[in-house]
Amino acid sequence: MTMTRLIRAELRKLTSTRMPWAFLLVLLTIAAINAFAVIAGTDFDGSKGFISTEADQQSLVAFAANGFILAALFGAIAVAREYGHHTVVPTFLASPKRHRAVLAQLTAVATNGAVLSLVGAGLTIAALALSLPTTEYNFLISANHVAQILAASAFAGGAGAILGAGIGAVVRNVGGAVTGAVLALIVGPPLVVQLANGTASWMPNVLATVLAGVGNDVSTPAAVGALAIWGLVPAVVGVLAVERRDVV
Amino acid sequence: MTTTSTTANSPNKTPRRSSASASTIGGGYQLEVANLTKRYGDAVVVDDLTFSVPPGRVTGFLGPNGSGKSTTMKIMLDLASASEGHATIGGRRYRDLANPARTVGAIIESDAFHPGRSGRNHLQILADATGCNYARVDEMLEEVGLIDAANRRAGAYSLGMRQRLGLAAAMLGEPPVLILDEPGNGLDPQGIRTLRDLLRSHASSGGTVLVSSHLLAEVEHLADDVIVINQGRLVVQGALDDLQQSAALVRTTDPDLLARQLERAGATAERQDDDGLIVHGISLAEIGAHAFTAGLVVHELSPHAGSLEQLFLSWTTDSETTEEVIEL
Repeated sequence: MTMTRLIRAELRKLTSTRMPWAFLLVLLTIAAINAFAVIAGTDFDGSKGFISTEADQQSLVAFAANGFILAALFGAIAVAREYGHHTVVPTFLASPKRHRAVLAQLTAVATNGAVLSLVGAGLTIAALALSLPTTEYNFLISANHVAQILAASAFAGGAGAILGAGIGAVVRNVGGAVTGAVLALIVGPPLVVQLANGTASWMPNVLATVLAGVGNDVSTPAAVGALAIWGLVPAVVGVLAVERRDVV
Repeated sequence: MTTTSTTANSPNKTPRRSSASASTIGGGYQLEVANLTKRYGDAVVVDDLTFSVPPGRVTGFLGPNGSGKSTTMKIMLDLASASEGHATIGGRRYRDLANPARTVGAIIESDAFHPGRSGRNHLQILADATGCNYARVDEMLEEVGLIDAANRRAGAYSLGMRQRLGLAAAMLGEPPVLILDEPGNGLDPQGIRTLRDLLRSHASSGGTVLVSSHLLAEVEHLADDVIVINQGRLVVQGALDDLQQSAALVRTTDPDLLARQLERAGATAERQDDDGLIVHGISLAEIGAHAFTAGLVVHELSPHAGSLEQLFLSWTTDSETTEEVIEL
Protein backbone atom coordinates (compact mmCIF):
# COMPACT_ATOMS: atom_id res chain seq x y z
CA MET A 1 0.00 0.00 0.00
CA THR A 2 1.53 3.28 -1.05
CA MET A 3 2.07 6.06 1.43
CA THR A 4 0.27 8.44 -0.92
CA ARG A 5 -2.93 6.41 -0.61
CA LEU A 6 -2.63 6.18 3.15
CA ILE A 7 -2.02 9.92 3.46
CA ARG A 8 -4.98 10.62 1.17
CA ALA A 9 -7.17 8.43 3.39
CA GLU A 10 -5.96 10.20 6.51
CA LEU A 11 -6.58 13.62 4.98
CA ARG A 12 -10.10 12.56 4.06
CA LYS A 13 -10.66 11.34 7.61
CA LEU A 14 -9.75 14.75 8.98
CA THR A 15 -11.86 16.69 6.52
CA SER A 16 -14.97 14.50 6.57
CA THR A 17 -16.12 15.38 10.08
CA ARG A 18 -17.10 18.65 11.70
CA MET A 19 -13.93 18.94 13.75
CA PRO A 20 -12.09 21.31 11.37
CA TRP A 21 -15.14 23.58 11.36
CA ALA A 22 -15.15 23.64 15.15
CA PHE A 23 -11.53 24.70 15.14
CA LEU A 24 -12.24 27.29 12.45
CA LEU A 25 -14.89 28.72 14.76
CA VAL A 26 -12.28 28.98 17.50
CA LEU A 27 -9.93 30.79 15.10
CA LEU A 28 -12.66 33.21 14.10
CA THR A 29 -13.38 33.87 17.76
CA ILE A 30 -9.72 34.62 18.46
CA ALA A 31 -9.60 36.96 15.47
CA ALA A 32 -12.78 38.67 16.61
CA ILE A 33 -11.37 39.16 20.11
CA ASN A 34 -8.26 40.71 18.58
CA ALA A 35 -10.38 43.04 16.45
CA PHE A 36 -12.44 44.03 19.49
CA ALA A 37 -9.23 44.74 21.42
CA VAL A 38 -8.00 47.00 18.62
CA ILE A 39 -11.32 48.84 18.35
CA ALA A 40 -12.16 49.16 22.04
CA GLY A 41 -8.93 48.55 23.92
CA THR A 42 -6.57 51.19 25.26
CA ASP A 43 -3.38 51.35 27.28
CA PHE A 44 -3.47 52.49 30.90
CA ASP A 45 -3.02 56.08 29.73
CA GLY A 46 -6.07 55.85 27.51
CA SER A 47 -4.08 55.84 24.29
CA LYS A 48 -3.78 53.14 21.68
CA GLY A 49 -0.05 52.84 22.06
CA PHE A 50 -0.25 49.04 21.82
CA ILE A 51 -0.78 49.37 18.06
CA SER A 52 1.31 52.44 17.39
CA THR A 53 4.39 50.77 15.90
CA GLU A 54 5.07 47.90 13.52
CA ALA A 55 6.58 45.89 16.39
CA ASP A 56 3.45 46.44 18.49
CA GLN A 57 1.17 45.33 15.69
CA GLN A 58 3.42 42.36 14.90
CA SER A 59 3.24 41.24 18.53
CA LEU A 60 -0.53 41.46 18.42
CA VAL A 61 -0.84 39.15 15.42
CA ALA A 62 2.07 36.78 16.13
CA PHE A 63 -0.18 33.73 16.09
CA ALA A 64 2.47 30.99 16.14
CA ALA A 65 2.29 30.32 19.90
CA ASN A 66 -1.50 30.08 19.79
CA GLY A 67 -1.26 28.00 16.64
CA PHE A 68 1.08 25.55 18.34
CA ILE A 69 -1.34 24.94 21.21
CA LEU A 70 -4.48 24.81 19.07
CA ALA A 71 -2.86 22.44 16.59
CA ALA A 72 -1.66 20.24 19.46
CA LEU A 73 -5.24 19.95 20.69
CA PHE A 74 -6.37 19.25 17.13
CA GLY A 75 -3.76 16.50 16.72
CA ALA A 76 -4.54 14.95 20.08
CA ILE A 77 -8.26 14.78 19.36
CA ALA A 78 -7.80 13.63 15.75
CA VAL A 79 -5.64 10.66 16.71
CA ALA A 80 -7.18 9.68 20.04
CA ARG A 81 -10.69 9.57 18.56
CA GLU A 82 -9.44 6.99 16.04
CA TYR A 83 -9.05 4.60 18.94
CA GLY A 84 -12.27 5.65 20.63
CA HIS A 85 -14.30 5.04 17.48
CA HIS A 86 -12.23 1.96 16.48
CA THR A 87 -11.50 3.52 13.09
CA VAL A 88 -7.89 2.47 13.57
CA VAL A 89 -9.07 -1.10 12.94
CA PRO A 90 -9.70 -0.62 9.19
CA THR A 91 -6.62 1.60 9.07
CA PHE A 92 -4.35 -1.12 10.44
CA LEU A 93 -6.12 -3.77 8.36
CA ALA A 94 -5.20 -1.73 5.28
CA SER A 95 -1.68 -1.20 6.59
CA PRO A 96 -0.68 -3.93 9.04
CA LYS A 97 2.83 -2.49 9.05
CA ARG A 98 1.53 0.03 11.50
CA HIS A 99 4.39 2.53 11.46
CA ARG A 100 3.45 3.34 7.86
CA ALA A 101 -0.14 4.05 8.86
CA VAL A 102 0.99 6.19 11.78
CA LEU A 103 3.43 8.12 9.60
CA ALA A 104 0.61 8.79 7.15
CA GLN A 105 -1.55 9.91 10.05
CA LEU A 106 1.18 12.21 11.36
CA THR A 107 1.68 13.69 7.91
CA ALA A 108 -2.02 14.39 7.51
CA VAL A 109 -2.39 15.79 11.01
CA ALA A 110 0.69 17.99 10.58
CA THR A 111 -0.66 19.31 7.28
CA ASN A 112 -4.02 20.09 8.84
CA GLY A 113 -2.38 21.63 11.90
CA ALA A 114 -0.22 23.84 9.69
CA VAL A 115 -3.21 24.94 7.63
CA LEU A 116 -5.31 25.65 10.73
CA SER A 117 -2.55 27.73 12.26
CA LEU A 118 -1.92 29.51 8.98
CA VAL A 119 -5.61 30.31 8.65
CA GLY A 120 -5.62 31.49 12.27
CA ALA A 121 -2.74 33.84 11.58
CA GLY A 122 -4.38 35.07 8.38
CA LEU A 123 -7.67 35.74 10.16
CA THR A 124 -5.90 37.57 12.97
CA ILE A 125 -3.96 39.74 10.53
CA ALA A 126 -7.14 40.41 8.56
CA ALA A 127 -8.97 41.32 11.76
CA LEU A 128 -6.23 43.81 12.61
CA ALA A 129 -6.27 45.28 9.12
CA LEU A 130 -10.07 45.63 9.17
CA SER A 131 -10.23 47.13 12.64
CA LEU A 132 -7.37 49.63 12.33
CA PRO A 133 -9.44 52.16 10.29
CA THR A 134 -11.45 52.76 13.49
CA THR A 135 -8.26 54.11 15.06
CA GLU A 136 -5.75 56.76 14.04
CA TYR A 137 -3.17 54.14 13.06
CA ASN A 138 -2.55 52.43 9.75
CA PHE A 139 -1.53 48.87 9.09
CA LEU A 140 2.23 49.07 9.66
CA ILE A 141 3.44 45.48 9.30
CA SER A 142 5.64 45.03 6.24
CA ALA A 143 4.94 42.34 3.67
CA ASN A 144 8.08 40.49 4.75
CA HIS A 145 6.96 40.41 8.35
CA VAL A 146 3.48 39.29 7.36
CA ALA A 147 5.10 36.45 5.45
CA GLN A 148 7.26 35.61 8.47
CA ILE A 149 4.25 35.54 10.79
CA LEU A 150 2.36 33.27 8.40
CA ALA A 151 5.32 30.94 7.91
CA ALA A 152 6.01 30.78 11.65
CA SER A 153 2.36 30.00 12.33
CA ALA A 154 2.27 27.23 9.74
CA PHE A 155 5.45 25.66 11.08
CA ALA A 156 4.33 25.93 14.69
CA GLY A 157 0.94 24.47 13.76
CA GLY A 158 2.55 21.48 12.07
CA ALA A 159 4.86 20.83 15.01
CA GLY A 160 2.06 21.26 17.53
CA ALA A 161 -0.20 18.88 15.63
CA ILE A 162 2.52 16.22 15.61
CA LEU A 163 3.01 16.69 19.34
CA GLY A 164 -0.72 16.29 19.95
CA ALA A 165 -0.90 13.29 17.63
CA GLY A 166 1.90 11.60 19.54
CA ILE A 167 0.10 12.16 22.82
CA GLY A 168 -3.13 10.89 21.26
CA ALA A 169 -1.44 7.71 20.03
CA VAL A 170 -0.02 7.01 23.47
CA VAL A 171 -3.11 7.87 25.51
CA ARG A 172 -5.75 6.59 22.99
CA ASN A 173 -8.55 8.44 24.73
CA VAL A 174 -9.79 11.88 23.68
CA GLY A 175 -10.26 13.26 27.19
CA GLY A 176 -6.92 11.90 28.32
CA ALA A 177 -5.12 13.13 25.21
CA VAL A 178 -6.51 16.66 25.53
CA THR A 179 -5.57 16.67 29.20
CA GLY A 180 -2.11 15.44 28.28
CA ALA A 181 -1.68 18.17 25.68
CA VAL A 182 -2.84 20.86 28.13
CA LEU A 183 -0.45 19.54 30.77
CA ALA A 184 2.42 19.41 28.29
CA LEU A 185 1.92 22.88 26.84
CA ILE A 186 0.09 25.03 29.36
CA VAL A 187 0.64 23.60 32.83
CA GLY A 188 4.00 21.93 32.40
CA PRO A 189 6.26 24.65 30.90
CA PRO A 190 5.84 27.23 33.72
CA LEU A 191 6.63 24.51 36.27
CA VAL A 192 9.71 23.44 34.34
CA VAL A 193 10.88 27.06 34.05
CA GLN A 194 10.55 27.48 37.80
CA LEU A 195 12.40 24.28 38.55
CA ALA A 196 15.20 24.59 35.97
CA ASN A 197 16.98 27.86 35.30
CA GLY A 198 17.63 28.77 31.70
CA THR A 199 14.85 26.65 30.26
CA ALA A 200 12.42 29.52 29.60
CA SER A 201 13.94 30.23 26.19
CA TRP A 202 13.19 26.68 25.08
CA MET A 203 9.52 26.57 25.94
CA PRO A 204 7.26 26.33 22.87
CA ASN A 205 5.52 29.68 23.33
CA VAL A 206 8.88 31.48 23.46
CA LEU A 207 10.24 29.54 20.49
CA ALA A 208 7.11 30.42 18.53
CA THR A 209 7.53 34.13 19.20
CA VAL A 210 11.13 33.90 17.98
CA LEU A 211 9.92 32.33 14.74
CA ALA A 212 7.27 35.02 14.37
CA GLY A 213 9.93 37.73 14.66
CA VAL A 214 8.77 39.19 17.96
CA GLY A 215 11.30 37.50 20.23
CA ASN A 216 15.04 36.94 20.20
CA ASP A 217 15.68 34.57 23.07
CA VAL A 218 17.37 32.07 20.74
CA SER A 219 18.40 32.11 17.10
CA THR A 220 15.80 31.33 14.45
CA PRO A 221 17.45 28.03 13.40
CA ALA A 222 17.64 26.98 17.05
CA ALA A 223 13.96 27.85 17.48
CA VAL A 224 13.05 25.81 14.39
CA GLY A 225 15.00 22.82 15.66
CA ALA A 226 13.73 23.04 19.22
CA LEU A 227 10.10 23.41 18.20
CA ALA A 228 10.49 20.45 15.84
CA ILE A 229 11.88 18.39 18.72
CA TRP A 230 8.91 19.37 20.87
CA GLY A 231 6.70 17.80 18.22
CA LEU A 232 8.84 14.86 17.21
CA VAL A 233 9.63 13.36 20.62
CA PRO A 234 5.97 12.56 21.50
CA ALA A 235 5.40 11.47 17.90
CA VAL A 236 8.24 8.93 18.04
CA VAL A 237 6.96 7.64 21.38
CA GLY A 238 3.52 7.35 19.79
CA VAL A 239 4.84 5.35 16.83
CA LEU A 240 6.69 2.97 19.14
CA ALA A 241 3.63 2.53 21.35
CA VAL A 242 1.39 1.76 18.38
CA GLU A 243 3.88 -0.78 17.01
CA ARG A 244 4.11 -2.63 20.32
CA ARG A 245 0.53 -2.72 21.54
CA ASP A 246 -2.46 -4.77 20.47
CA VAL A 247 -4.87 -2.57 18.55
CA VAL A 248 -8.11 -3.59 20.23
CA MET B 1 -22.77 -8.22 -12.22
CA THR B 2 -25.71 -10.37 -11.25
CA THR B 3 -27.58 -8.21 -8.86
CA THR B 4 -31.27 -8.08 -8.28
CA SER B 5 -32.69 -4.62 -8.10
CA THR B 6 -34.71 -3.43 -5.18
CA THR B 7 -37.66 -1.10 -5.18
CA ALA B 8 -37.69 0.03 -1.59
CA ASN B 9 -36.50 3.54 -0.84
CA SER B 10 -36.09 3.13 2.88
CA PRO B 11 -32.56 2.96 4.27
CA ASN B 12 -33.64 -0.36 5.75
CA LYS B 13 -34.44 -1.84 2.41
CA THR B 14 -33.29 -5.31 1.55
CA PRO B 15 -29.65 -5.50 0.51
CA ARG B 16 -28.90 -6.73 -2.96
CA ARG B 17 -26.99 -9.86 -3.72
CA SER B 18 -23.25 -9.64 -3.97
CA SER B 19 -21.45 -9.46 -7.25
CA ALA B 20 -19.23 -12.19 -5.83
CA SER B 21 -21.69 -14.67 -7.24
CA ALA B 22 -20.88 -13.56 -10.73
CA SER B 23 -17.32 -14.68 -10.85
CA THR B 24 -14.92 -17.14 -9.42
CA ILE B 25 -12.82 -15.75 -6.60
CA GLY B 26 -9.25 -16.67 -7.22
CA GLY B 27 -6.58 -17.63 -4.81
CA GLY B 28 -7.95 -20.57 -2.87
CA TYR B 29 -6.65 -19.14 0.40
CA GLN B 30 -6.57 -21.60 3.27
CA LEU B 31 -6.47 -20.14 6.76
CA GLU B 32 -4.21 -21.94 9.23
CA VAL B 33 -4.02 -21.40 12.94
CA ALA B 34 -1.21 -23.36 14.57
CA ASN B 35 -0.67 -23.79 18.30
CA LEU B 36 -1.98 -20.31 18.93
CA THR B 37 -1.79 -19.08 22.49
CA LYS B 38 -2.63 -15.62 23.80
CA ARG B 39 -2.05 -14.56 27.38
CA TYR B 40 -3.00 -11.35 29.09
CA GLY B 41 -0.99 -11.46 32.28
CA ASP B 42 -1.89 -14.73 33.97
CA ALA B 43 -5.09 -15.15 31.98
CA VAL B 44 -4.88 -17.54 29.03
CA VAL B 45 -7.45 -16.32 26.51
CA VAL B 46 -6.44 -18.63 23.66
CA ASP B 47 -4.80 -21.90 24.58
CA ASP B 48 -2.77 -23.88 22.05
CA LEU B 49 -5.44 -23.52 19.39
CA THR B 50 -4.98 -25.28 16.06
CA PHE B 51 -7.42 -25.41 13.17
CA SER B 52 -7.67 -24.76 9.48
CA VAL B 53 -10.31 -23.11 7.33
CA PRO B 54 -10.49 -24.38 3.74
CA PRO B 55 -11.46 -22.28 0.73
CA GLY B 56 -14.75 -22.90 -0.99
CA ARG B 57 -16.62 -23.47 2.25
CA VAL B 58 -18.29 -21.40 4.93
CA THR B 59 -16.81 -22.17 8.31
CA GLY B 60 -18.70 -21.20 11.45
CA PHE B 61 -16.56 -20.22 14.41
CA LEU B 62 -18.49 -20.89 17.59
CA GLY B 63 -17.94 -20.61 21.27
CA PRO B 64 -19.52 -19.11 24.37
CA ASN B 65 -18.91 -15.46 25.23
CA GLY B 66 -15.31 -14.94 26.24
CA SER B 67 -14.15 -18.19 24.69
CA GLY B 68 -11.47 -16.46 22.61
CA LYS B 69 -13.12 -16.22 19.17
CA SER B 70 -12.59 -12.50 18.69
CA THR B 71 -9.06 -12.63 20.04
CA THR B 72 -8.22 -15.44 17.63
CA MET B 73 -9.61 -13.43 14.72
CA LYS B 74 -7.65 -10.35 15.79
CA ILE B 75 -4.45 -12.37 15.90
CA MET B 76 -5.20 -13.77 12.43
CA LEU B 77 -5.45 -10.17 11.22
CA ASP B 78 -2.35 -8.94 13.08
CA LEU B 79 -4.42 -6.63 15.23
CA ALA B 80 -3.15 -8.50 18.26
CA SER B 81 0.05 -10.42 18.76
CA ALA B 82 0.20 -14.09 19.67
CA SER B 83 2.04 -15.17 22.80
CA GLU B 84 2.87 -18.42 21.01
CA GLY B 85 2.01 -20.03 17.70
CA HIS B 86 0.96 -18.28 14.54
CA ALA B 87 -1.82 -17.80 12.01
CA THR B 88 -1.44 -17.68 8.26
CA ILE B 89 -3.63 -16.79 5.31
CA GLY B 90 -2.68 -18.69 2.19
CA GLY B 91 0.58 -19.61 3.88
CA ARG B 92 1.55 -16.05 4.76
CA ARG B 93 1.01 -13.94 7.81
CA TYR B 94 -1.47 -11.13 7.34
CA ARG B 95 1.18 -8.44 7.52
CA ASP B 96 3.16 -10.18 4.78
CA LEU B 97 0.31 -10.28 2.26
CA ALA B 98 0.94 -8.10 -0.78
CA ASN B 99 -2.33 -6.22 -0.44
CA PRO B 100 -3.84 -7.41 2.82
CA ALA B 101 -7.07 -5.41 2.83
CA ARG B 102 -7.88 -6.60 -0.68
CA THR B 103 -7.06 -10.19 0.22
CA VAL B 104 -9.03 -10.34 3.44
CA GLY B 105 -12.27 -8.53 4.18
CA ALA B 106 -12.99 -8.32 7.87
CA ILE B 107 -15.58 -7.25 10.36
CA ILE B 108 -13.99 -7.09 13.79
CA GLU B 109 -15.69 -4.13 15.44
CA SER B 110 -19.25 -3.56 14.29
CA ASP B 111 -19.02 0.15 15.03
CA ALA B 112 -15.61 0.88 13.52
CA PHE B 113 -16.60 4.21 12.01
CA HIS B 114 -16.78 7.83 13.13
CA PRO B 115 -20.41 8.65 14.00
CA GLY B 116 -20.10 12.09 12.44
CA ARG B 117 -18.90 10.75 9.11
CA SER B 118 -21.27 9.67 6.37
CA GLY B 119 -21.43 6.07 5.23
CA ARG B 120 -20.14 7.11 1.82
CA ASN B 121 -17.19 9.00 3.31
CA HIS B 122 -16.36 6.02 5.51
CA LEU B 123 -16.12 3.77 2.48
CA GLN B 124 -14.27 6.39 0.43
CA ILE B 125 -11.61 6.54 3.13
CA LEU B 126 -11.24 2.76 2.92
CA ALA B 127 -11.14 3.00 -0.87
CA ASP B 128 -8.36 5.56 -0.58
CA ALA B 129 -6.39 3.38 1.80
CA THR B 130 -6.81 0.17 -0.16
CA GLY B 131 -6.62 1.54 -3.68
CA CYS B 132 -10.17 0.68 -4.66
CA ASN B 133 -12.01 2.59 -7.33
CA TYR B 134 -14.54 5.09 -5.95
CA ALA B 135 -17.18 3.55 -8.21
CA ARG B 136 -16.91 0.46 -6.05
CA VAL B 137 -18.08 2.52 -3.05
CA ASP B 138 -21.49 3.24 -4.53
CA GLU B 139 -21.67 -0.29 -5.87
CA MET B 140 -21.26 -1.68 -2.37
CA LEU B 141 -23.64 0.85 -0.84
CA GLU B 142 -26.18 -0.29 -3.43
CA GLU B 143 -25.54 -3.95 -2.70
CA VAL B 144 -26.03 -3.66 1.05
CA GLY B 145 -29.07 -1.40 0.66
CA LEU B 146 -27.54 1.78 2.06
CA ILE B 147 -27.35 3.89 -1.07
CA ASP B 148 -30.21 6.15 0.01
CA ALA B 149 -28.61 6.69 3.41
CA ALA B 150 -25.10 7.08 2.01
CA ASN B 151 -24.78 10.76 2.88
CA ARG B 152 -26.32 10.47 6.32
CA ARG B 153 -24.11 10.44 9.40
CA ALA B 154 -23.27 6.85 10.26
CA GLY B 155 -23.96 7.64 13.92
CA ALA B 156 -27.64 7.93 13.01
CA TYR B 157 -27.73 4.45 11.46
CA SER B 158 -29.61 1.62 13.13
CA LEU B 159 -27.63 -1.38 14.35
CA GLY B 160 -28.63 -3.31 11.26
CA MET B 161 -27.52 -0.48 8.98
CA ARG B 162 -24.19 -0.32 10.81
CA GLN B 163 -23.72 -4.02 10.22
CA ARG B 164 -24.45 -3.51 6.55
CA LEU B 165 -21.94 -0.70 6.41
CA GLY B 166 -19.40 -3.03 8.03
CA LEU B 167 -20.22 -5.70 5.49
CA ALA B 168 -19.84 -3.20 2.65
CA ALA B 169 -16.46 -2.19 4.06
CA ALA B 170 -15.37 -5.82 4.30
CA MET B 171 -16.43 -6.57 0.73
CA LEU B 172 -15.17 -3.30 -0.76
CA GLY B 173 -11.88 -4.67 -2.04
CA GLU B 174 -13.48 -7.83 -3.46
CA PRO B 175 -11.33 -9.97 -1.17
CA PRO B 176 -11.14 -13.75 -1.61
CA VAL B 177 -11.12 -14.23 2.18
CA LEU B 178 -13.75 -13.04 4.62
CA ILE B 179 -13.21 -13.07 8.39
CA LEU B 180 -16.34 -11.81 10.04
CA ASP B 181 -16.97 -11.48 13.77
CA GLU B 182 -20.69 -11.60 14.52
CA PRO B 183 -21.83 -10.09 11.21
CA GLY B 184 -25.45 -11.04 11.81
CA ASN B 185 -25.90 -8.97 14.97
CA GLY B 186 -28.79 -6.59 14.61
CA LEU B 187 -29.78 -7.69 11.13
CA ASP B 188 -33.44 -8.22 10.43
CA PRO B 189 -34.56 -11.57 8.94
CA GLN B 190 -34.17 -10.23 5.41
CA GLY B 191 -30.72 -8.98 6.22
CA ILE B 192 -29.79 -12.34 7.74
CA ARG B 193 -30.98 -14.12 4.63
CA THR B 194 -29.07 -11.77 2.37
CA LEU B 195 -25.95 -12.20 4.47
CA ARG B 196 -26.35 -15.96 4.22
CA ASP B 197 -26.79 -15.80 0.45
CA LEU B 198 -23.84 -13.49 0.10
CA LEU B 199 -21.49 -15.65 2.15
CA ARG B 200 -22.63 -18.88 0.51
CA SER B 201 -22.19 -17.28 -2.88
CA HIS B 202 -18.71 -16.11 -1.87
CA ALA B 203 -17.71 -19.60 -0.76
CA SER B 204 -19.20 -21.31 -3.78
CA SER B 205 -17.11 -19.00 -5.95
CA GLY B 206 -13.98 -20.32 -4.26
CA GLY B 207 -13.69 -17.79 -1.47
CA THR B 208 -12.79 -18.60 2.10
CA VAL B 209 -15.27 -17.60 4.79
CA LEU B 210 -14.75 -17.73 8.54
CA VAL B 211 -17.70 -16.33 10.42
CA SER B 212 -18.28 -16.24 14.15
CA SER B 213 -21.77 -16.01 15.50
CA HIS B 214 -23.76 -16.74 18.59
CA LEU B 215 -26.89 -17.16 16.43
CA LEU B 216 -26.73 -20.94 16.18
CA ALA B 217 -29.77 -21.25 13.95
CA GLU B 218 -28.12 -18.84 11.53
CA VAL B 219 -24.90 -20.85 11.53
CA GLU B 220 -26.86 -24.07 11.07
CA HIS B 221 -28.28 -22.67 7.84
CA LEU B 222 -25.06 -21.07 6.73
CA ALA B 223 -22.01 -23.11 7.64
CA ASP B 224 -20.52 -26.12 5.90
CA ASP B 225 -18.02 -26.64 8.68
CA VAL B 226 -17.82 -25.54 12.27
CA ILE B 227 -15.00 -24.91 14.68
CA VAL B 228 -16.05 -24.78 18.31
CA ILE B 229 -13.83 -23.41 21.03
CA ASN B 230 -14.36 -23.09 24.75
CA GLN B 231 -12.09 -21.39 27.27
CA GLY B 232 -9.68 -20.71 24.44
CA ARG B 233 -9.27 -24.36 23.51
CA LEU B 234 -10.50 -26.30 20.53
CA VAL B 235 -13.52 -28.44 21.36
CA VAL B 236 -14.54 -29.75 17.99
CA GLN B 237 -14.07 -29.05 14.31
CA GLY B 238 -15.46 -30.69 11.25
CA ALA B 239 -18.21 -30.77 8.69
CA LEU B 240 -21.46 -29.69 10.28
CA ASP B 241 -23.44 -32.50 8.66
CA ASP B 242 -21.04 -35.11 10.03
CA LEU B 243 -21.11 -33.60 13.47
CA GLN B 244 -24.88 -33.48 13.49
CA GLN B 245 -25.02 -37.13 12.46
CA SER B 246 -22.46 -38.22 15.03
CA ALA B 247 -25.08 -39.19 17.60
CA ALA B 248 -27.27 -42.31 17.66
CA LEU B 249 -30.82 -42.94 18.83
CA VAL B 250 -31.44 -46.29 20.45
CA ARG B 251 -34.72 -47.58 21.86
CA THR B 252 -34.62 -50.59 24.09
CA THR B 253 -36.52 -52.38 26.82
CA ASP B 254 -34.18 -51.16 29.58
CA PRO B 255 -32.56 -47.86 28.58
CA ASP B 256 -31.06 -47.26 32.03
CA LEU B 257 -29.16 -50.56 31.93
CA LEU B 258 -27.94 -49.89 28.41
CA ALA B 259 -26.92 -46.33 29.38
CA ARG B 260 -24.75 -47.70 32.19
CA GLN B 261 -23.18 -50.22 29.81
CA LEU B 262 -22.44 -47.57 27.22
CA GLU B 263 -21.04 -45.08 29.73
CA ARG B 264 -18.68 -47.77 31.00
CA ALA B 265 -17.54 -48.08 27.40
CA GLY B 266 -16.76 -44.34 27.30
CA ALA B 267 -19.89 -43.11 25.53
CA THR B 268 -22.30 -40.47 26.77
CA ALA B 269 -25.98 -41.31 26.84
CA GLU B 270 -28.97 -39.19 27.72
CA ARG B 271 -32.57 -40.32 28.11
CA GLN B 272 -35.01 -39.52 25.33
CA ASP B 273 -38.70 -40.27 25.92
CA ASP B 274 -39.58 -43.46 27.85
CA ASP B 275 -37.40 -46.00 26.12
CA GLY B 276 -34.91 -43.98 24.12
CA LEU B 277 -31.31 -42.90 24.53
CA ILE B 278 -29.26 -40.36 22.59
CA VAL B 279 -25.74 -41.71 22.49
CA HIS B 280 -22.52 -39.87 21.60
CA GLY B 281 -19.02 -41.17 21.18
CA ILE B 282 -19.63 -44.71 20.00
CA SER B 283 -20.63 -46.34 16.74
CA LEU B 284 -23.98 -47.91 15.92
CA ALA B 285 -22.36 -51.34 15.70
CA GLU B 286 -20.82 -50.99 19.14
CA ILE B 287 -24.14 -49.88 20.61
CA GLY B 288 -25.79 -52.93 19.10
CA ALA B 289 -23.06 -55.16 20.49
CA HIS B 290 -23.41 -53.74 24.00
CA ALA B 291 -27.18 -54.19 23.89
CA PHE B 292 -26.73 -57.80 22.75
CA THR B 293 -24.22 -58.47 25.54
CA ALA B 294 -26.68 -57.05 28.07
CA GLY B 295 -29.43 -59.21 26.67
CA LEU B 296 -31.61 -56.27 25.77
CA VAL B 297 -34.20 -56.13 23.02
CA VAL B 298 -33.51 -53.21 20.69
CA HIS B 299 -36.53 -51.58 19.05
CA GLU B 300 -34.66 -48.93 17.14
CA LEU B 301 -31.02 -48.10 16.43
CA SER B 302 -30.41 -45.22 14.04
CA PRO B 303 -28.21 -42.17 13.43
CA HIS B 304 -29.57 -39.15 15.27
CA ALA B 305 -29.36 -35.71 13.75
CA GLY B 306 -29.06 -33.31 16.64
CA SER B 307 -29.68 -29.60 16.31
CA LEU B 308 -26.62 -27.40 16.41
CA GLU B 309 -27.93 -25.85 19.59
CA GLN B 310 -28.08 -29.24 21.32
CA LEU B 311 -24.63 -30.11 20.09
CA PHE B 312 -23.21 -26.73 21.02
CA LEU B 313 -24.51 -27.00 24.56
CA SER B 314 -23.16 -30.51 24.94
CA TRP B 315 -19.76 -29.39 23.61
CA THR B 316 -19.43 -26.28 25.71
CA THR B 317 -21.04 -27.09 29.05
CA ASP B 318 -18.61 -29.82 30.05
CA SER B 319 -16.25 -28.80 32.78
CA GLU B 320 -13.32 -30.21 30.89
CA THR B 321 -12.69 -29.10 27.33
CA THR B 322 -12.13 -32.10 25.14
CA GLU B 323 -11.08 -32.13 21.56
CA GLU B 324 -12.94 -33.97 18.88
CA VAL B 325 -11.89 -33.65 15.29
CA ILE B 326 -13.84 -35.10 12.45
CA GLU B 327 -11.82 -35.36 9.31
CA LEU B 328 -13.28 -33.35 6.47
